Amino acid sequence: MRIPETGGWRARLAWPWALSSRARENLTAYGFLAPFLIVFAVFLVYPVFYSLYLALHQVPSDSYDVFSGLQFVGLRNFAELFTDVKFWWSVLMTMYYAALIIPSGIAVSLALALLLNNRLRGVAIYRSAFFMPYVLDMLVIGIVWTLIYSPHIGILVRVFEAVGITAFSEKGFLGMSTTAMPSVVLANVLKGAGFGMILYLSAIQNISRSLYEAAEIDGATPWRRFTAITLPLVKPITFFMVVIGTIGALNAFVEVYAMTSGGPSVDVGGRALGATWVTGYHIFDTFYNQWRLGYAAAMSYVLLALTMIVTLVNRRFLGERD
Amino acid sequence: MSVRRTSAVGTVVLYAGLTIAAIIVLFPFFWMVVTAFKQPGQAFSAEILPSRPTLENFSRVLSEFGFGRYFANSVIVATTAALFATMFATCAGYVFAKKQFFMKDKLFTFLLISLMIPGMMYVVPQFAIINKFGWMDTYRAMIIPHLANVFGLFLMRQYMMTIPNELLDAARIDGAGEWQVFLNVMIPLSIPIIATLFLLTFQFHWNNFLWQLIVANVDRLYTVPVGLAMFKSAHEELYTLKMAGSCISVLPIAVLFFFAQRYFIEGMTMGAVKE
Repeated sequence: MRIPETGGWRARLAWPWALSSRARENLTAYGFLAPFLIVFAVFLVYPVFYSLYLALHQVPSDSYDVFSGLQFVGLRNFAELFTDVKFWWSVLMTMYYAALIIPSGIAVSLALALLLNNRLRGVAIYRSAFFMPYVLDMLVIGIVWTLIYSPHIGILVRVFEAVGITAFSEKGFLGMSTTAMPSVVLANVLKGAGFGMILYLSAIQNISRSLYEAAEIDGATPWRRFTAITLPLVKPITFFMVVIGTIGALNAFVEVYAMTSGGPSVDVGGRALGATWVTGYHIFDTFYNQWRLGYAAAMSYVLLALTMIVTLVNRRFLGERD
Repeated sequence: MSVRRTSAVGTVVLYAGLTIAAIIVLFPFFWMVVTAFKQPGQAFSAEILPSRPTLENFSRVLSEFGFGRYFANSVIVATTAALFATMFATCAGYVFAKKQFFMKDKLFTFLLISLMIPGMMYVVPQFAIINKFGWMDTYRAMIIPHLANVFGLFLMRQYMMTIPNELLDAARIDGAGEWQVFLNVMIPLSIPIIATLFLLTFQFHWNNFLWQLIVANVDRLYTVPVGLAMFKSAHEELYTLKMAGSCISVLPIAVLFFFAQRYFIEGMTMGAVKE
């Protein structure tokens, strides 16, 4: 938006060096912007292009110094990606992760918001309690959950044993390929729900009371009022939650690092793959453990493409609303 | 407002629901603290509260396992980074809110687009750049790459746009230069948003685990989360110590949140959804 220029300052143009007022405005503005723009250019813009350069190169396997001997390999990294079972498995696991975390995250956030949307004393304290985990470190939360999920003597295994379920005792929740991903997701949902809760709460409180009153007069049950009034009117928040949930899944790393390191191993057609081996973790592993910078950079471009697709699809949806 | 009044029974049910939800959400933190106070080797004892609570775990991680040093590193990195990131975003937000300049709209769109790039994308090239600069294993490697906070710039701009231009013009008429207008008019009027951004960037850098893991490979530069991750892989079985380290790691942010939760909640959800 344009801010209309107001008079008064032109009178002060008696600078020793005679720049036009416009040039001076520009100079001042870019002076203020300089620190930000320099860091932005060097560490946020340049890397995107440098990453492409890296993606077209590879570190020779016998080279210890990863940068001295980068070899140009053209599109070979990208070609390799297409036949890399482990990579596509990671994409599949990312989709699985997203499919679990998005609906459960939305459900828990919405449930908490509905609980808070009541005139009760002390509601603010509960609101803070639900939000607090969101600001804390995922790594720490993941490490605490590994303790809770531990096999044999972990607290959760014991709780299940107390009601006669011993299926998880031997390997623990993170050690079984069936429960590992849902367990990672549960830890993450409980950490992050406070954020969605605040968004839902403010959306719900913006809904006009008269809508509910009219529905009540018409004899609508509370459930019907929820599905016919609340849900449709908080739809923009739900869309937003789906988008950030998808982007979060594409970037998921710390939770997996802290809890499972991509495991436990599952046998898929004779190959050992990880039950929580998401793409974010795969990129990290390729780069940090295998030192294949070029290949990891190529993967991050696929990640970028996927993110762009998600964002564009979302924009289409949001665009329809306006 | 659709806030409903509830009957006595309804009230009890609601409180029960809220309390159960709070217990579930906060259980990991409760368990972390309880375990940190248990006797070494008793991490898996079934008792809900330790019968013989001890501070030994805390003193051991701080002295024997270097968490004192890690904590100091975290404080240095998070404070410096938050300070500069907030300064940079404040200056940049100001001109986007209050000035006309060459390429303003294009630059703004460009910044908007950059927000869509996934964080994972940056890990490899940023690491390569840090390597080329010869910055590996330095504080500046941990701090500088994340000082351009685009989201922070948007927060600033949005807030500063609500400050009336007349106030700035009045100062200019009184003979204030550009820098004085910014320092004496804009900054004092923007204190709430500056405080918010400082807290958010401090929190971001305190939790910026992946990046710190990658660029700090020597023990003396580990931040608390990196130290914790290293400790975790080296001493998988020392759970009471791990939980003491975890407590130390989350404590500062938990305390900040306790005192400044309004800033955290508003800052983090502001701009999340366009009205």
